[in-house]
Amino acid sequence: MTDPSIAVTRLVKRFGEVEAVRGIDFEIMPGTIFGLLGRNGAGKTTTLECCIGLTKPSSGCVRMLGLDPSNPRELARLRPRFGAQLQTTSLPEKARVGEMLELYARYYALRPATAALCERVGLLGKERQPVGGLSGGERQRLALALAIQHDPEIAFLDEPTAGMDAYGRRVLWGEVEHLRRTGKTVILTTHYIEEAERLCDEICIVQQGRIIARDTPARLIAGAGGGSTITVEAEGFAPRNGIARAGRWRHEAPGNGEGARWVLATELDPGPVLAEVVRAVDEQGAQLHALDMRRATLEDAFLNLTGERIAEDAEAGAA
Amino acid sequence: MLLAQTKMNFVWYLFRDGEMMFWALAMPIFFLVLFSFAFGFGNTTQASAFLVPGLIGAQVLTLGFFGVGVMLAQFREQKVLRRIYLTPLPPWVFFAALVLYRLTLLAFQSSILALAGSVFFHVHFTGNVLDMIAMLAIGALTFVSLGTLVGAVTKTAESANNLASVLTVPLAFLSDAYIPLDRFPSTVSAPLHLLPSTQFIDALRGVTTGGEPLAHFSLWIVVLLCWALGGMLLSARIFRWV
Repeated sequence: MTDPSIAVTRLVKRFGEVEAVRGIDFEIMPGTIFGLLGRNGAGKTTTLECCIGLTKPSSGCVRMLGLDPSNPRELARLRPRFGAQLQTTSLPEKARVGEMLELYARYYALRPATAALCERVGLLGKERQPVGGLSGGERQRLALALAIQHDPEIAFLDEPTAGMDAYGRRVLWGEVEHLRRTGKTVILTTHYIEEAERLCDEICIVQQGRIIARDTPARLIAGAGGGSTITVEAEGFAPRNGIARAGRWRHEAPGNGEGARWVLATELDPGPVLAEVVRAVDEQGAQLHALDMRRATLEDAFLNLTGERIAEDAEAGAA
Repeated sequence: MLLAQTKMNFVWYLFRDGEMMFWALAMPIFFLVLFSFAFGFGNTTQASAFLVPGLIGAQVLTLGFFGVGVMLAQFREQKVLRRIYLTPLPPWVFFAALVLYRLTLLAFQSSILALAGSVFFHVHFTGNVLDMIAMLAIGALTFVSLGTLVGAVTKTAESANNLASVLTVPLAFLSDAYIPLDRFPSTVSAPLHLLPSTQFIDALRGVTTGGEPLAHFSLWIVVLLCWALGGMLLSARIFRWV
């Protein structure tokens, strides 16, 4: 049995009166892409900071690769073995991209491969740009490059795509895929549903300092009443016969007065059900105005589990 | 590694910062000229012989409290320290690189002041060069150590800046740097002689323009080194990287 890359046991962190983390447990096996998903302020970043020794736990303990990051001596042995891209760090404004990468290569006793690294994270041609002149997304990509340059066993990514455009997200997702292929462990926090669903092998949903669910994205969706929703707007249509038994039908007030709207929640494979619905509309001689099918998403699972939407800007994040 | 980090400090915080360049290099000269005429009462050579070591001494105070103390507090506030803390760079290398950068800058500033003093005001540096350097180094060690303490006891860059100002400005005026202490009534000047800054600046003046050997100031040097050691031990205990 292999040892976990990270083991967090009964972790609690208080800041004065505020309990940011209230008893979190998890283990991450090597090679896993592990996501902490939750709203801002749920305790994800604090948990991550406890894992890398930036924050001392109030109680409970963390083991990374069998060592204790809250012990300075053990942390010193861990530093070359992990990389971190954090929201709560920054770089000197007047330093240039190339200088930072070269200096960090020296910190890790590497031969700098600045051009190759810049190409990987889409900063090619920006080597002489000062950090202070980079856009938010470029800064994030530089931070990513500094976190993975030394090919760490574990990468900690804290809201890695916050403030990134679509291009930046693709770069990051590509790098996470690369880490997965090379068997590295990744622990990331995010409040972007799509990111968690797409990247993570395992997800912990964090709410108010506690983990309220932990599973693979697929099982989280299935467990939280996964399935599909089919919406039919057709004049003269009613669910009868076979399709009536396909799931739960709900009659909704028409949106624009153009006939009835029926909403079907089904656990069945939505493709054939959809075909049945279309045939029924046809057989009943109904006039179809709109037809919509949507599979349950992690967003639905999150809503079901936490009773709240992940963020006000969830739509913007998924764009 | 230490040299690479020190070099980056020069590049990032001096060469690419025009304002910093001006303050670091032009201000000491500006002070020298201004004070020589203001306090000289006609004999500017004599005034300069007093002021050049005093200004260098004041630069040492500034180096410790602002150059190291406030810089560290700023690095912490800007979250630069947190990022460094995650890398395998030993903390002492980061700290030593900052001190080395500041010391090199001090060497430049002192040389410029000394040169300006001797060229424009005919100041004679009668002391032994090694004595001068040793005294400067002891003072730098003391005030780097006390400056680090400023960075350690304050939470924000602003409070570090306030504390450094409160220490540096009065100390410079009360420590024989700009104004000779014998112009104060003896009841005021006697306790001022107990300040480490007074002892350092007087000793520096003694070995540079006063023609005295370093050994004259043995007791003060021991006292200064005690301050340095105390400051170091206390900073090491309470300094926070994150």
